[in-house]
Amino acid sequence: MREFALTEMERAGAFEDAERTFQMTEEAFRVFYEQTARPIWMYLARTTGDDRLADDLLQETYYRFLRARTAFESDDHRRHYLFRIATNLVRDQWRRARTDAVELGEADVPELGADDTLGDRALGRIDLTRALEQLKPRERSLLWLAYAQGFSHEEIASQLGLRTGSLKALLFRARRRLISVLGDRYRSGGRRG
Amino acid sequence: MADHSCVHEHDVVAAVLSHRWDRASDELTQHAADCEVCRDVVAVARLLSADQEHARYEVHVPAAGQVWWRAAVRARLEAAHAVARPLTWLHGIAGACAVGVACAMIGMAWPSLRELASWFTFEALGADARMADVAAFVTAAMQRSLPLAFVVAACLVLAPVALYFVLTDD
Repeated sequence: MREFALTEMERAGAFEDAERTFQMTEEAFRVFYEQTARPIWMYLARTTGDDRLADDLLQETYYRFLRARTAFESDDHRRHYLFRIATNLVRDQWRRARTDAVELGEADVPELGADDTLGDRALGRIDLTRALEQLKPRERSLLWLAYAQGFSHEEIASQLGLRTGSLKALLFRARRRLISVLGDRYRSGGRRG
Repeated sequence: MADHSCVHEHDVVAAVLSHRWDRASDELTQHAADCEVCRDVVAVARLLSADQEHARYEVHVPAAGQVWWRAAVRARLEAAHAVARPLTWLHGIAGACAVGVACAMIGMAWPSLRELASWFTFEALGADARMADVAAFVTAAMQRSLPLAFVVAACLVLAPVALYFVLTDD
């Protein structure tokens, strides 16, 4: 495939073309982006466990969103669509990573929540980060969409291509797994991060 | 399935995510205290929503204009690729056609060349026996070298095409 490089003039033209190519104006995009970029980034970072990858996937998510030809009924619809794109991108990453995945043995898993005196927010987040790393990628997605984004079971099922009945069982298992990894003191919401 | 989810789960999550859990109805909080599913849901939702909240203040995402700009440039590049793709195919097809035509022409002209060589051997150089031997050898060699001639012709046509693609890649 031949490489293309755009001249300065072409770059300027790209800006004008974008208004025609994309499904929203730049102004509307700015507003929408301000509302959604951080939650999307957090979702990508938490589900991939890689902040740099989250940066790349964020750009890709919005690019695909802008190129979409879907007629959106509301901002909620847009937001769900955006999360669906992000979920698909994350799933592609899992598939790619599966080929060269390195299995961690039990000895590699750090013990979490062992010291009750470490109760500040930062440490809570580190615990959560480590705990999420021990879950399966799909479990991370499920938990994040359900309990950080507040999507309904039906919405999550449609995003992940699952039946609602299966989703409830998977969500239950993911929840129990997270709590067991974090330790019982999180069960009562003792650490509120 | 009843063990896996609870009908109040969505209300519980909504209350936690909207920071209304501490002010939620007694009925709901009492239910959460008694229901194992909702108790877990409260714990997990509190943790994850707190983590999500942290993003509002500490996570730095690229500016909207930057994301828009990159997307616009990429859309333009992809459009340029899309336009160039048929041209690339066209170049390939033209090259293949040129090779085919060259081969066909050589094939058609070959009997005439052979006759010309024979005439040259026996008519023009007929007087000199030694030259006639040389000419007969050349004629025989030409008759046997038809595949080689095809290959040479193909190279002559393909070399500039290949050179074109190599140089345009740079």
